[in-house]
Amino acid sequence: MIRNTFLAFLYSLVMRSFLVLIVGVKYRNREVLKKEKQFIIVANHNSHVDTMALLSALPSSRIRHVHPVAAADYFGSNPIRAFITKLLVNTILIPRSRPVDGEGPDPVQMMFDQLEKGESLILFPEGSRGEPGKLQKFKKGIALLLEKYPHIPFIPVYMSNMGKVLPKGDGVLVPFNSTVIFGEPQLANSCDLESIVAQVEHSVLSLRKDEHGLSKER
Amino acid sequence: MNLTRFNLNSELLSIILLIFGLLIFATVLFFVWGKIKPQANLTELKTRTKSWWVMSSVFVFAALFNPMISFIAIGFLSFAALRELYSVLNLRESDRRPIFWCYLAVPVQYYLAYVGWYGAFIIFIPVVMFIWIPFMVIIRGEVKGIIQSMAILPSSLMLCVFGISHMAFLLSLPELPGFAAGGRGLLLFVVFITEMNDVFQFTWGKLFGRYKVLPTVSPNKTWEGLIGGILTTTIVGYFLRFLTPLSGMEALLVSFLVAVAGFIGDVVVSAVKRDIGVKDTGSTIPGHGGILDRIDSLATTAPVFFHLVYYLAY
Repeated sequence: MIRNTFLAFLYSLVMRSFLVLIVGVKYRNREVLKKEKQFIIVANHNSHVDTMALLSALPSSRIRHVHPVAAADYFGSNPIRAFITKLLVNTILIPRSRPVDGEGPDPVQMMFDQLEKGESLILFPEGSRGEPGKLQKFKKGIALLLEKYPHIPFIPVYMSNMGKVLPKGDGVLVPFNSTVIFGEPQLANSCDLESIVAQVEHSVLSLRKDEHGLSKER
Repeated sequence: MNLTRFNLNSELLSIILLIFGLLIFATVLFFVWGKIKPQANLTELKTRTKSWWVMSSVFVFAALFNPMISFIAIGFLSFAALRELYSVLNLRESDRRPIFWCYLAVPVQYYLAYVGWYGAFIIFIPVVMFIWIPFMVIIRGEVKGIIQSMAILPSSLMLCVFGISHMAFLLSLPELPGFAAGGRGLLLFVVFITEMNDVFQFTWGKLFGRYKVLPTVSPNKTWEGLIGGILTTTIVGYFLRFLTPLSGMEALLVSFLVAVAGFIGDVVVSAVKRDIGVKDTGSTIPGHGGILDRIDSLATTAPVFFHLVYYLAY
């Protein structure tokens, strides 16, 4: 309860005001988040601001139940850092790849556990922050989740200009108008891993086309 | 509402009544027009009028309520315009830090306006920043395309910050004996006639426009609109001179020059947009485009007006 109030205050109020007024983030079609109770947000990834922008977009009562999935080797590099990201960003930290010989935690199983509990996830299927404006090949983790839980919808999100605001390897945040576009929630429409990845990738990419379409029309 | 709280005098009250009277007139006009001629496409005019309601209310409230709020509000306008410009300009990756410095210039410039330190206010951007920003650009060591960045960044401060901040400095001008409207009157005057100038030029152009002024830059601008707009603005400025310490002749001259300056600011930003290939710099204000699309003429009218009044009356 206290944690929820704290996260709601931090993201829905402080972070959202900062992002909208100072950084210049605009949300489009944010209402889709209210439609679903449990979901997996799938977004492109260029900046640390991405996670902040997505958490701030959530209805304040839901934040506690939405967990960004992050790489343990980076965000969990020391216990203090891991503790802070878990507490403040509500993340679950997973290893980048599945154990080869059954030793150590299985990242996919860790995500299954969260979905089993009714929690929602934020996933960046590109794996790591890519170059601004370029979409890297999606990894298949997302497909494993949607194959096992075909009743949980995924929400595609395309974010533009975040890589300009705070690119990889730079510590200074510089405001630029940027957009976060939410697509309609969808269910996986096949049980073949490759085609689920293709479906997810296509739904995120089509939002990028939306963005360009709109800017041309203006 | 308790009017003494806002320290309202009859001059300020009449301009506020005029502003909202015009808005009501426009709203009723487009409503009735739409009813009589349903085939006329008034959507854009109606959206624009709605946005005018919001902008006028915010502006009048900020201008009257508390000077501190006015400085913050106008400063934020500069910042948002600057951000909008950088977002469409596609500057180099290595220009991020100089851009950050440009943003930092905004609070400094508005602080100088707030404390009314004229000497520092007037040199901070054209002297200090024009030396500092190119230096910040070159210490990144990336020389490819550097001329463009060194030129664009300081100029962007002139367009979005220096000119606009003169609106704020009007509020810091000392009181003159026998001039009741004060800085707030001057601010309302310059914003009102600048915006009316845009509206007049648009309307005259729509009604009688035939000969294009600058077809490659701004295809909708016509000589008829330009001349009609400037004349109307000059006359309106003459009748609103009770908001300024100017005499009748001075008010005519100042309003005329403000109208010309408004046209210049407008077409300069149009040319920038045409070069980048966008119609509007943003979509913040429905029907008007971005913030920069709305304040483009103020960037030139505010300093022209300020310095004329400063020379003539202070």
